[in-house]
Amino acid sequence: MSLQVTGTVGLARFQLRRDRILASLWGLVLLAVVYASASATNGLYPTDADRVEAARLINASPAAVALYGPILDVHSLGELAMTKTTVTYALFLMVLAMVLVRRHTRVEEESGRTELVSAGRVGRRAPLVSAVVESGVVVTIISALAGLCSVAGGLPAAGSLVFAASWWGSGMVGVGVAAVACQVSASARTCGAAGAAGLGVIFLLRAVGDVSESWLRWLSPLGWNTQLSAWSQPRWWVLLLYPVTAVALLVVALWLRDRRDLGAGLVAPRPGPAEGSPRLRDAGSLALRVYGPSLVGWSVAAAVCGVLFGSVVPSLGTLFDSATGQEMLRRLGGSGAVEDAMLAGIMSVVALILCGFTASVAAHAGSDEHDGRTEQVLATASPRGHTFTALLTLVLAATAWLLLVLGVAAAVGYGAQAGGFGDAAGRSLGAALAPLPAAWLLAALAILGLSLGDRWALLGWVLLAAFATVGIVGELLSLPDWVVGLSPFQHIAKVPSEPMAWGPAVVLTVLTALVSAVAWWAYRRRDIG
Amino acid sequence: MADVESVINVRGLVKRFGSVRALDGLDLTVRSGEVHGFLGPNGAGKSTTIRSLLGLLRTEAGTAEVFGLDPWRDPVDIHRRLAYVPGDVSLWPNLSGGETIDLLLRMRGVQADRSRRADLLERFDLDPTKKGRAYSKGNRQKVALVAAFAAPIDLLVLDEPTSGLDPLMEQVFNECLAEHKEAGTTVLLSSHILSEVELLADRVTIIRGGRAVETGTLAELRHLRRNRIQAELDKPPSDLSALPGVHDLSVEGHHLSCTVDADGLSPLLEALTAAGVRSLTSTPPTLEELFLDLYRDTP
Repeated sequence: MSLQVTGTVGLARFQLRRDRILASLWGLVLLAVVYASASATNGLYPTDADRVEAARLINASPAAVALYGPILDVHSLGELAMTKTTVTYALFLMVLAMVLVRRHTRVEEESGRTELVSAGRVGRRAPLVSAVVESGVVVTIISALAGLCSVAGGLPAAGSLVFAASWWGSGMVGVGVAAVACQVSASARTCGAAGAAGLGVIFLLRAVGDVSESWLRWLSPLGWNTQLSAWSQPRWWVLLLYPVTAVALLVVALWLRDRRDLGAGLVAPRPGPAEGSPRLRDAGSLALRVYGPSLVGWSVAAAVCGVLFGSVVPSLGTLFDSATGQEMLRRLGGSGAVEDAMLAGIMSVVALILCGFTASVAAHAGSDEHDGRTEQVLATASPRGHTFTALLTLVLAATAWLLLVLGVAAAVGYGAQAGGFGDAAGRSLGAALAPLPAAWLLAALAILGLSLGDRWALLGWVLLAAFATVGIVGELLSLPDWVVGLSPFQHIAKVPSEPMAWGPAVVLTVLTALVSAVAWWAYRRRDIG
Repeated sequence: MADVESVINVRGLVKRFGSVRALDGLDLTVRSGEVHGFLGPNGAGKSTTIRSLLGLLRTEAGTAEVFGLDPWRDPVDIHRRLAYVPGDVSLWPNLSGGETIDLLLRMRGVQADRSRRADLLERFDLDPTKKGRAYSKGNRQKVALVAAFAAPIDLLVLDEPTSGLDPLMEQVFNECLAEHKEAGTTVLLSSHILSEVELLADRVTIIRGGRAVETGTLAELRHLRRNRIQAELDKPPSDLSALPGVHDLSVEGHHLSCTVDADGLSPLLEALTAAGVRSLTSTPPTLEELFLDLYRDTP
């Protein structure tokens, strides 16, 4: 039997062309972070003593270790500079690999386009193999450039090379995880959730392993990024773990692909009810039915993040009140007491990530319209207003719900560690709910995108990425204030470090109402489909 | 004023998509209780017309009325009285066929008659427990058809409803449509295939390039078409080209062929008889030819 890979090169080139904008933008943001991290650190910590203090501070903070991983060599400038990029931004490279592989395999398969392509002179494995090759090329280019950015930022060339190799390795593992995840289900959304869960496990294993300094960190490719010790005496053999893992995952993916039909998942679809439940009767119940399962998944993710990050916060204590420590933690997202700053910083980042639910609802509603499902609903006696209101209500309520889940879970984690719930609950809930007005505005803007036409349904994702980007690189790259200020998340109070600022909250809520009204006005007067 | 007898009344409708005029002054009248075939080649504007009638698209000029109401202003009042089957049915991937049928019926504001629903599922040979993503194109279409047929309704709007059905299911579809017609339902049946509407349509409208090029009963349309005449004659005929209604004339020795309008048939036959007829064939226009001509850019 042949390898069944005829046509791989042609497909991969076509995929690269389709990804040229997405992959370039994503890569540029990651490279900007690498360059900014590399070039900023020397100025911040000019002497060896400064660096040792900063590194010890990070190592002593379970929250920082959980988020970024520990610093093995406290004297290393490179390792300190790349604290965030070694693990956390490497995860974003894995996410990019995930997005690309899914886009070219399961999404194409679900839409039926793979069937069209596979009827040509194209081998059965070619769609999967080409997606792997293509995303592998993207990962390789970004990693190589990341190494160059690190050198350009003033870090040693040898360490930068090994650092780049660790990015390449974790990116390739991301490709492998995605390739396996995309075999699981016939639904691209379920495959995406499976892949996200896979990356989540990789990150959590490392976080738990690093905090508890146990062998668990060796189970996670992201743990290897730190253990590789790129900037001091590299453990070269660790570099072998990545390709071995990636290849093993690809073999599993190909094995699964060979054993399933085109368009099918691993489990045969279960039959559904022959009759609709009496509750399934209008636009609102339809929205709940369609987006409910996804909301459950996001709620679980919010709860896990809440408990995890809540439980690492109290162990910070206020032991590290030195000037450098304060300076460093202030830059991590807050001022005042260390715990509170950490809590406020983490919660605002997680709140922004949880807005992904809203963005995904708007994007999915766009494909509902593009595929003609919205047309069928609007050809019944259900008015346009119901479909619009159902979506808007869902995203606004779900946003509040997810932040509430995050806050409650953080209170549980925090309280369990700190040994008391009264105080923990107030602080955690405050930190989680303070970003709500900003998250609402993002939700309303995502729906506004949908209201402008199904072509704009991805506006939510674009804004989410943009707000995250200015939040991350705005300060590092010293962007002008007005650019950073475009993100509503920059205007919320850092509760509980700061008292709740009601002014910005009211302004953001009023803006949310205004944007919603404009969205409704635009939706009712435009063509559908 | 709208004709009280007409359920759908469209005058001079214009819809542009960017620089493309999808509808370019369309006229369409569907009388109460009739099955109206809506024919035209791909891209003629059939689906655009239907979406405008459903109030999904905003038109730029002209008037459209359904049940005497403006579809853009009062879509819901119109939708209460109609059922719609799109040409390319897309289902919610995680809803079963049965759930989708019940959802669409409830959103129309009607309660499905259980026995009628079960009967339709059986006749269309449709498994209602499959999830939306598992249905083939034909089966997705059946889901929408069962939802449309499962309750009495005033108007059925069907956009190429049989495009994914096998001949057996097409027959079931025709039976269901006939039953609804019997019950007095008005039907707008869009298609690009003549045979599909030939069986059931009382009247047809043919559109091309966004405007109606012909409308009437099939008999009326057939009348528009010329007969083709082939004859073997005893001697070469006199000059026939001057005769009214004679076209495409070619004479080779004793052999003659031409086409002739219905009105020109008698004078032509007299002239041929004068030349002595050895054999004569007259081919009536097939509807197929008529439609192919109307579909082409130059009718």
